[in-house]
Amino acid sequence: MAAVSGPLLAGAGYWAVLSRCGGRAGAGVGVGPLFGAAAYSSVPAVSSSRGGKQREASTWRRNRTSQFIRSHAPPRTERMAVDQDWSSVYPTAAAFKPASVPLPIRMGYPVKRGVPPPKEGNLELIKIPNFLHLTPPAIKKHCAALKDFCTEWPSALDSDEKCEQHFPIEIETVDYVSAGTSIRNPKARVVTLRVKLSNLNLDDHAKKKLIKLVGERYCKDTDILTITTDRCPLRRQNYDYAIHLLTVLYHESWKTEMWESEKTEEDMEEYIWENSCSQKNALDTLIRIKASENVSNVTKEELLASEVVKNYRNSVVALKNEGETENNMSQYKDSVKKLLNIPALP
Amino acid sequence: MAARRLGSGCWQRMGLLSRRWCLQGGSAGTREQNRYSSSSTPQEKTVEASEVTREEIVLPRRKTWDKLAVLQALASTVNRDPTAAHYMFQDDPFLMPRNTANSRLLSLSKESGRSAAKYIIKEFPQYFDKTTAEPNIPCLMPESLTPQIEGVSEAALKERIELRRVKASVDLFDQLLQAGTPVSLETTNRLLDLLCFYGDGESAQEKQQEQKGAVEDPEENASEQRSPKRQLQKSLNSSDFRWRENNNAERIFKIMPERNAHSYCTMIRGMVKHGAPAKAYDMYTDLLNERHKADVHTFNALIAAVPYLKERFTERWELVKDFLNHMVQQEVQPNVLTFNAVLKTLRRCGGVGRSVSVSVIKEMDALDIEPSLATYDHLLYIFYRAVDLHPSAIINEVLEEVEKRSFTPQDPDDANFFATAMQACCDLKDIKLAYRLNKLMEKGDNWKFLDMDRLNAYWSKFFSLLCMMEQIDVVLKWYKEMTPSLFYPSPRNMFDLLQALDAANHLEVIPSVWEDIKQLGFNRKQDLLEELLSLMSREQHPEETQLAFAKCAEDIKAVHEQSGRDQALLEWTGSALGHVVVLFSRAGRTQDAWNMMEHFQQINRIPTDQVMDEFLNCAKQTNCPDEAIKLVKLAASLGLPSTLKLKSRTEQEFELSEKQKKVLERIQLDSDSSDSDSDSDSDHD
Repeated sequence: MAAVSGPLLAGAGYWAVLSRCGGRAGAGVGVGPLFGAAAYSSVPAVSSSRGGKQREASTWRRNRTSQFIRSHAPPRTERMAVDQDWSSVYPTAAAFKPASVPLPIRMGYPVKRGVPPPKEGNLELIKIPNFLHLTPPAIKKHCAALKDFCTEWPSALDSDEKCEQHFPIEIETVDYVSAGTSIRNPKARVVTLRVKLSNLNLDDHAKKKLIKLVGERYCKDTDILTITTDRCPLRRQNYDYAIHLLTVLYHESWKTEMWESEKTEEDMEEYIWENSCSQKNALDTLIRIKASENVSNVTKEELLASEVVKNYRNSVVALKNEGETENNMSQYKDSVKKLLNIPALP
Repeated sequence: MAARRLGSGCWQRMGLLSRRWCLQGGSAGTREQNRYSSSSTPQEKTVEASEVTREEIVLPRRKTWDKLAVLQALASTVNRDPTAAHYMFQDDPFLMPRNTANSRLLSLSKESGRSAAKYIIKEFPQYFDKTTAEPNIPCLMPESLTPQIEGVSEAALKERIELRRVKASVDLFDQLLQAGTPVSLETTNRLLDLLCFYGDGESAQEKQQEQKGAVEDPEENASEQRSPKRQLQKSLNSSDFRWRENNNAERIFKIMPERNAHSYCTMIRGMVKHGAPAKAYDMYTDLLNERHKADVHTFNALIAAVPYLKERFTERWELVKDFLNHMVQQEVQPNVLTFNAVLKTLRRCGGVGRSVSVSVIKEMDALDIEPSLATYDHLLYIFYRAVDLHPSAIINEVLEEVEKRSFTPQDPDDANFFATAMQACCDLKDIKLAYRLNKLMEKGDNWKFLDMDRLNAYWSKFFSLLCMMEQIDVVLKWYKEMTPSLFYPSPRNMFDLLQALDAANHLEVIPSVWEDIKQLGFNRKQDLLEELLSLMSREQHPEETQLAFAKCAEDIKAVHEQSGRDQALLEWTGSALGHVVVLFSRAGRTQDAWNMMEHFQQINRIPTDQVMDEFLNCAKQTNCPDEAIKLVKLAASLGLPSTLKLKSRTEQEFELSEKQKKVLERIQLDSDSSDSDSDSDSDHD
């Protein structure tokens, strides 16, 4: 039969339906490449014989159930055309159906010196989630169908920079879709607001105060402030709350309270060399050195503008602000040597 | 903006914000889903920047759509899967239905399971008090069906009518009367509506309860008695309640102190619905005498009842005209159902119908009433169900009209249109018309008019027509497309397919058709088997085909020998046996062929000369002189006139041993001695 159906298949593609006995004949040579399931031609025989045994065993039920006892039918993969529309076979998410998937899949723990069990009646294949309904062509089709529901992207916003410039605040919400009795998900209420601090109109004091106020919500590396609100039951309320927080933070940071004048050096966010003890001491020392060298009329300004002092300043600032790394320490050492004019040890 | 599909909660807010920004500086809006410009901060920097680009950014309007639109759009990407059964069935080769009867059984059992579940929910609402779904789905929850208002009052009666408790409301009405409380005309009319709708029987749920009561009735514990009674009850329930003399509706109608037109109309419609047309007509005359006016539905019912009122065709048409004239007099505007009723009556008016129906359609046009599919259905029936088929252009015009419009269900008869039209195409043997009709059926929502049974009838007719008229390639293509996703072929369809294969000389595909026949469960249909065998054995085919045919023959043999569990043994017919022998012989399976030959004697049939010749050829090819001698023996024992010829052929064509020759000689002697009379007779003649 395989030989008979072979030329037919080649001559006219539609003939796959009627030529299914080609697969059943067991030869499967001519038909094999067309039907992926040809390798499993032995399985139907097994299941049918099992059905037969059951039939014999259940003689007492024979009269009542005989009309419901059914013979084996070939899986419909045998009738599938090669160029069939797969998204019609698996239109939605569904458990694995061995008779509908024309792939020679095997899965599971192999028997000793054997291969994993075939797809027929294979629980392992049913258990795992499959994405047979989300093949790339299916997704393409879905996108094409959903295109009508989308609005056009504003042509002016052609780059990320422009988007950020015009719309600096980013709101993130997550919607959850699940198969269950409830369409609500408590996690959907969470609203995350992100804004770059450089996009807010802040002066140095305000910025520092804001950073102090928000604490860990500010990421220094990316300069992004993240506000996550989830205390209200509804997303809308959380959104309003996030916007409210941002507004309050902004205005609060612009205010200068009375007690802020009491801010001491220890309270500073970063080390500033100018007018610090270090500057005073360094200048003092330098002036005294100059005095001892009988170089008079050296002003503080001149000293400050000199290369050595600038170098010293930078290394001190780096040491204070960035911490004592090896690099900073060696830089500091060099700058101090230069400042005090200590020649390098031989 | 509309790109944000899911977060509907924020929509209004976003709309507000963007509007505000437009006023403020026009800088703002949303970036895809997530970006907002901070409106609450004085943003000098951005405002400056935005003034430059202010004109450029055009935010699109939000799109709104129907709740189901997205789902429908996604569904439109999915086409019918030609290898799958209807999606209501399990997609498993063992569980999928194989033929029409199967699919009917399966779908009915599925439906009955669903109604059983509904019954449980209705019966035990106390166990379904948790609303697990969020948001709640009311149709899945038990309805409250117990009357809330206690006592005897008109309000309680109204509530019972609302809940469709036929019996309870009648009882309550009687109690009210006995108590002397007058019931308002409106409430009485509503009670009449209820009674006439259910034909004074019980509404569906009460019926179920009744049935349950009957089953649990302790008096009927004798099982022999119970089953016939239940069957009787079932048959009574399944058919509509007949209108009984002096039933509750009539009784209440008679004791009503005052009646208005509505009471009369309800009574008329109830009587027509429940099979009392003569009474309905009397009621109508009463209504006229009381100088009331009937409404359009009443006239529709009366017109539909005309065939039961008058015998002769012309009288029927006269009565219909009378009613229509009354409508004009009473200034009642007809609707599409009126005309459908007229045409339905004309279906039963023979030749009168044919002559009048066109003018009825014209009248519809004049009144600007759009016909429904049922109108066309009646029209096609009137013109094409007659004995003498004259191809008129009506069906063309009808199809043209239907192509122009889309239809919504208006009349219960709408569903018949496609099946009737396909039948007409079939009768006219017009394949082009059928294609056109099929295209029409697949257009828009028209397919929804076909239910499972009608779908099967429709496709099976279409397929028969295809087999009759189309090229075999096209037929097979359709066959592949249609089964089993659209319909399951009937035995008649398979017969047609076989004949189409025969006509196109494509007999080599018969084995696969046989596989399908087996799958469909038609392998015990005698006429189908006969046709199959005769087609296979008619001509000599290439060897491969013959081998495949022999395999089919083996299957058929197995079918005959298999003792069905509850089916009767399939009897061999002489011709079938002959065909099988020929098929085996041609495939060179001498032994199998001989086994079949032996069956002839068992069933007292005689093989034809052709069969014996084929067998002899086969024996010669496979060099089995024994079989040849056996054949001669058989022929001799059956006393066939061809024995002599066979014998001489055997002698000439086979290399016989001495012993075999002797055996052959003896056969001649035996047959001579036993059948000498007949032989001599034939010799003389």
